[in-house]
Amino acid sequence: MNRAIAKVFIVGAVLFVALIVNLTWIMVVRADWFQHRAENKRSIAKEMKIARGDLLGFDGTVIAGSERRSGYYYRVYPQGTVAPQLLGYDSVRYGRSGIEAQLNDVLTGEANDLGVQSWIDKLLSRKPVGADVRLTLVPEVQKTAQQALRGQKGAVIVLDPQTGALIASASSPTYDPANLEEQWARLSTDESAPLLNRPTQGLYVPGSAFKVVTATAALDSGKVSADTQFVDTGTYVVFGGKVTNYGGAVYGPNSFTTALTYSINTTFAKVGNTLTRKRLIAGMEQYGFYETPPLPLPAGEVAPSGRYGKKGLLAPDAFMDPLDVAWAACGQEKILATPLQMALVAAGVANGGRVMAPYYVQTVRSASGAVVRKTEPKVWMVAMTPQTATTLNTMMRRVVEEGTGTAAALEGIAVAGKTGTAEKGDGTNLAWFIAFAPADNPTVAIAVVIEDTQSTGGAAAAPLAATVIKSALAQPGLP
Amino acid sequence: MSRRNLELLFLVLAGAVSTMAYVSVYTGRFREIGSVSIIYGLIFVAIFFGLHLLIRLVLPQADPFLLPITALLAAVGLTEIFRIKPALALAQGQWLLVGAALFVITLLVVRDHKKLDRYRYLIGAVGLVLLVITIVLGTTVNGAKLWIHAFGMSIQPSEFAKLAIVVFLAGYLDDKKVLLSVPTRHVLGVPVPATKYFGPLLIMWVLSLAMLVFMKDFGMALLFMSIFVALMYMATARVVYVAAGVGMFAAAAAIALMIVPHVQDRFTVWLDPWPYASTTGYQLLQSLFTIADGGILGSGFGRGFLLFTNRQPVVPDLQTDFIFAAIANEMGILGAAGVVLVYLLFVWRGFRIAVYAPDGFSKLLAAGLATAFGLQTFIIIGGVTRLIPLTGVTLPFVSYGGSSITANLMLVALLLMVSNRTNIILAGSELERRRLAERG
Repeated sequence: MNRAIAKVFIVGAVLFVALIVNLTWIMVVRADWFQHRAENKRSIAKEMKIARGDLLGFDGTVIAGSERRSGYYYRVYPQGTVAPQLLGYDSVRYGRSGIEAQLNDVLTGEANDLGVQSWIDKLLSRKPVGADVRLTLVPEVQKTAQQALRGQKGAVIVLDPQTGALIASASSPTYDPANLEEQWARLSTDESAPLLNRPTQGLYVPGSAFKVVTATAALDSGKVSADTQFVDTGTYVVFGGKVTNYGGAVYGPNSFTTALTYSINTTFAKVGNTLTRKRLIAGMEQYGFYETPPLPLPAGEVAPSGRYGKKGLLAPDAFMDPLDVAWAACGQEKILATPLQMALVAAGVANGGRVMAPYYVQTVRSASGAVVRKTEPKVWMVAMTPQTATTLNTMMRRVVEEGTGTAAALEGIAVAGKTGTAEKGDGTNLAWFIAFAPADNPTVAIAVVIEDTQSTGGAAAAPLAATVIKSALAQPGLP
Repeated sequence: MSRRNLELLFLVLAGAVSTMAYVSVYTGRFREIGSVSIIYGLIFVAIFFGLHLLIRLVLPQADPFLLPITALLAAVGLTEIFRIKPALALAQGQWLLVGAALFVITLLVVRDHKKLDRYRYLIGAVGLVLLVITIVLGTTVNGAKLWIHAFGMSIQPSEFAKLAIVVFLAGYLDDKKVLLSVPTRHVLGVPVPATKYFGPLLIMWVLSLAMLVFMKDFGMALLFMSIFVALMYMATARVVYVAAGVGMFAAAAAIALMIVPHVQDRFTVWLDPWPYASTTGYQLLQSLFTIADGGILGSGFGRGFLLFTNRQPVVPDLQTDFIFAAIANEMGILGAAGVVLVYLLFVWRGFRIAVYAPDGFSKLLAAGLATAFGLQTFIIIGGVTRLIPLTGVTLPFVSYGGSSITANLMLVALLLMVSNRTNIILAGSELERRRLAERG
């Protein structure tokens, strides 16, 4: 009998060992897999028990705060709508986006670089406390930009050209982040895409604003100078096609500076073919086209600029005939750019040719008050020589002083800029203005794009840019 | 060290561990606890200290491990219940008191488990009646009909029936083991006992089939059938009974699978819970998520994410059938495996008592009780971790529920009685031996 009893016990012991093996499988080997199943909402719900860090403006005011209601923390927005598409949402139902997603581990206090106290908390399995993130966004400027865009579709993005700090990023139409979940059905299906963060995700034909890129490549190549003379007859015939000026204008003899000032297409088309495809594309790449700008956001929330085909971004060495090159030099053909990339073009010229990597985190302050992260500005691209930058600075000032961008002129402040008007073929235009100011020591670079307007870049976008630049330069401190 | 002092030492250790767990929960939800909580703790200590003193007097040579293990598991359970639903902890504490009372009554009334053998048919009949009244008068909870409502309480008679059936089978099989193990003919070259000795097997099979179909409960049916097959094997050492039992239970399960939708659901969800994530598979998946979340060290007693904002547990029935998920979450793999090993330790002591017991009835009784205890543990832990299909049985001493804790305390009392007698005989005290021999 004892042998049989022992056998039964052994069977039992084997079953218990199976329990432990299975537990190890679930809790150790496959633990992460279970944690990340879509059916598992534990992580978001659990993180809602953590006092989520605030998102603060550069001036220290709270843009997105955290409020405790019956044991769970919910986002509150004391200043109302401030860059909701960039900040992103934080929803148990719809997940996270934007900065909320990108910096989630910081905001929940779960990141590994949040100071000694956070390590102690982890060791003791204490609930972490979120770290506050001070953004480079300046709420005053942001609100001015949003206000200026109200009622129109488009984007405004403002950078500090010397550091790459994002001062404002407005996308219109917009929404109130406080009741995202209630509005979700409408927001996610609305054709005007209010959830889209246009400054970084919106791909637009840059039109004549792109001429700054062509001019950079031309001046850098040494083949064209600011004073090189051209003759415009209203039409430039090339490779069985022709390039004409906006509104059918004829300018006659013109210098390269004049061509930029009045945005003469035929001159830029000729310059494009002088450069050839290779140099033009190389010039784009030097500004960061064909690459995703290093603004840290979740995958897909920052789009690369460049030539686009039916299947997305084309390779830099994709075929172009001379007519393609001619139109591309004028910012047409297959070129698409984000407002962020175009702002970086203005910022590159403003900063002596060095394009700074864009960023939005000024500092991260742990729950104990210590600054644990601080963004150090760094160079992303060197777009041109300092001499070319100086020449272009002067040329772009002329645009605002006497050319297509006079509406952007400000009292007592030298503004340098470039307009752009892309005709969509349905009678509406895409109006662009890129600029920086003050021109002799630029602290603000901007790109403005207005969709579906009857107006031109100089009439629709330039005055809007002026308003925002004025607001930015009036701030007591900028990042 | 004497067995009783050893028991006291283990009890103190168990008490220390429990106190730490309790303090952790206490500090985890500090604001919600008043001075009442201290009283829970004191009642708990008093109960087990009292039982220890009684064992000192009545069963001086009984196994020193069983009571401390019981105390440890009950403390873990009580702490976790308190953590999930504070209001239920008081009720569970009262049930523990009732269980302790029945433990005492069992000890004092039975005194010597050998007496039970004399009443085996009566006891077996009581077990059968308990099951029948469940089938007739039972109410359905969570799809299974396991409960009867009487005297303003919900009672789960199958927990007690389990004990009665083990006592009956131990007596019956010890009596008939010679007959059962003598092969009278050969089938396909395998020696097989006479057909009439398969009778009891048939009765048990019908009983478990009835439980499957009428009580709609796979777990209890599996438990009863397995206890029977294990005892049959231990009594006769004949594998043919195991084969027949497994085959017959498989057939019964197949029948139930076809005609009982509740059993069908459980089986489908076990095979693949993901398509039913928000319906029938919700509970099991939430259990797995909760367990997986425990990781290696666990989130700490009182610190895991077990309750929603509205204080509802994240896994339905967390305090009863799914309490192991809560334990795994808060204690991690180390704690969860530790709890499994503590159960294994209990089962091992039970089997050890069986091996050393001097007579067949004692052996089968101890082994049967240990089998019942171990299997029930395996069925529920295996169920909530998706090792086997999920069925609603309680985790002994830990799950919330009066019937379970009471029946299992009675089970401990029986095991202690067997071990006391065994150890006295082994110790060879002439006087005791003569005294026991006189009593027959």
